[in-house]
Amino acid sequence: MDPILEAMREDVLDGDQESVEDNVQAALAADIPAGTILTEGLIAAMREVGELFEEGEYFVPEMLIAARAMKGGLQLLKPHLVAADVQPAGRIIAGTVQGDLHDIGKNLVCMMLEGAGFEIIDLGTDVPPEKFVEAAQHEQADIIAMSALLTTTMPNMKHVISALETAELRQSVKVIVGGAPVTQTFAESIGADGYAPDASRATALAQSLLGLA
Amino acid sequence: MNLIDRVIAHPGRMVVPLMGFPGTQLTHSTIWQNEFNARMQFETIAALVDRFKPDAAFFMMDLAVEAGAIGLPVVFPQNESPTVKHHPVHTIADLDQFRAIDVLYDGRVRTYISVMEQMAAALDIIKGAYVIGPFTLAGLMMGATELAIATIERRDLVHAAATLATEVIIPYGQALVAAGADTVCILEPTATFISPHAFDEFSGHYVRQIFEALDTIGILHICGDTQHLIEPMCATGAQGLSLDAPLDFPAAIAQMPEDVVLIGNLDPVRVMTNGSPAEVRAATHKLLEDMAPYPNFILSTGCDLPPETPLDNIAAFMEAGRAT
Repeated sequence: MDPILEAMREDVLDGDQESVEDNVQAALAADIPAGTILTEGLIAAMREVGELFEEGEYFVPEMLIAARAMKGGLQLLKPHLVAADVQPAGRIIAGTVQGDLHDIGKNLVCMMLEGAGFEIIDLGTDVPPEKFVEAAQHEQADIIAMSALLTTTMPNMKHVISALETAELRQSVKVIVGGAPVTQTFAESIGADGYAPDASRATALAQSLLGLA
Repeated sequence: MNLIDRVIAHPGRMVVPLMGFPGTQLTHSTIWQNEFNARMQFETIAALVDRFKPDAAFFMMDLAVEAGAIGLPVVFPQNESPTVKHHPVHTIADLDQFRAIDVLYDGRVRTYISVMEQMAAALDIIKGAYVIGPFTLAGLMMGATELAIATIERRDLVHAAATLATEVIIPYGQALVAAGADTVCILEPTATFISPHAFDEFSGHYVRQIFEALDTIGILHICGDTQHLIEPMCATGAQGLSLDAPLDFPAAIAQMPEDVVLIGNLDPVRVMTNGSPAEVRAATHKLLEDMAPYPNFILSTGCDLPPETPLDNIAAFMEAGRAT
């Protein structure tokens, strides 16, 4: 691997945003294609972060600073990706459902998905069903990702799916769900397309639903 | 008497579901009414005790009492847990706004102290109180994401927030003990996402101080998957660990000293809320069977039961628990 990309990978693992940004600039100056910087530098590093999390080496704080460092690099890279016509892996609308103000899980999922090359439209917390529907209409998203931390707000995931059905959008978008009280059984019972127990596995789920893995 | 001695002296397994909210079905009340009115909440807890005859009863789990008492903005829905809406602490100086506040003058703090006084006067089982954990209160001050990052990049800020949290929690806990609490359970859910080392530094260190300051049985409750934290949790001086459904309980108890009691862990949502009474009975029997070799175990739920938990399921849990 190119030494600049190798250094970039280590910077992401260390959560060193400044060095990641410096190395993205250096890689661009060395004429490494933007798509290569993305897949072999940033995405590869975030894949490793996910693995370290699953192995119990990294915890949420380590993951958050790695993802933030990756995001810094990605911001610099974005115009070059557009210029080179590099398409995102998919477009995902994310949000914590209505009545729920918890965002750390949703933020982590967004960061990991972004780190896997997806484009994220983050609707934030306490998102009503109509806002998910509106975003699905305007953004032509491939996936809607919903999060809930409270057992009392979990039923609102079903309301979003019903609203998508009413708007005749359900066939054109996949729905994935997660959050502490959410289970595979619950996901199936509300007609979601998938469930992931953590941010790392949410990425694998999104890739698998879009036929990317 | 220590918790382990009480557990061993008890005839049969102690059975203590973590319930509070489902009691609103018995008193036809809202969560909001119970959070603000001490008599209402006492009636709800007393109704649960009367109906299900558990070996201990806690008042309602409410992670916003201390946060509200220091002035963090709390939202109170009619029938859901209250939540802190904004997190105003970004620097150590931001903590100064809380320093002059005496939490014992707060209305909701007084409500919970009064609930405990009424429980102590009327109930002849073990009476338990909850207080928030220092790391979790720091998270409500700062926001969970900012707190997580600060454990790596701004450790001094996390320590300052956790120190202040500890200074808030101790007098409240002492007042609850004075009101008659036989045990105080520290709720520290936010610590679930940090490493064992970070737990020891940012949570365990302060939890230990709180237990030392409270002359009572200390229990530590953390929800979610806490397998990696069992050892540092035991090092806090907790006499009991109340742990959640994702844990493999036989594996967890094998890591614990024999004088620390493990409390749990029937799934509060998948089994207790969404299951049938037959499924509750089967899951309870299985847990009791798995834990049969261990005397230092209290049969409980992994976390607090949601308000809509069918009362028949709580009855099935108690019945299956008593059958041993």
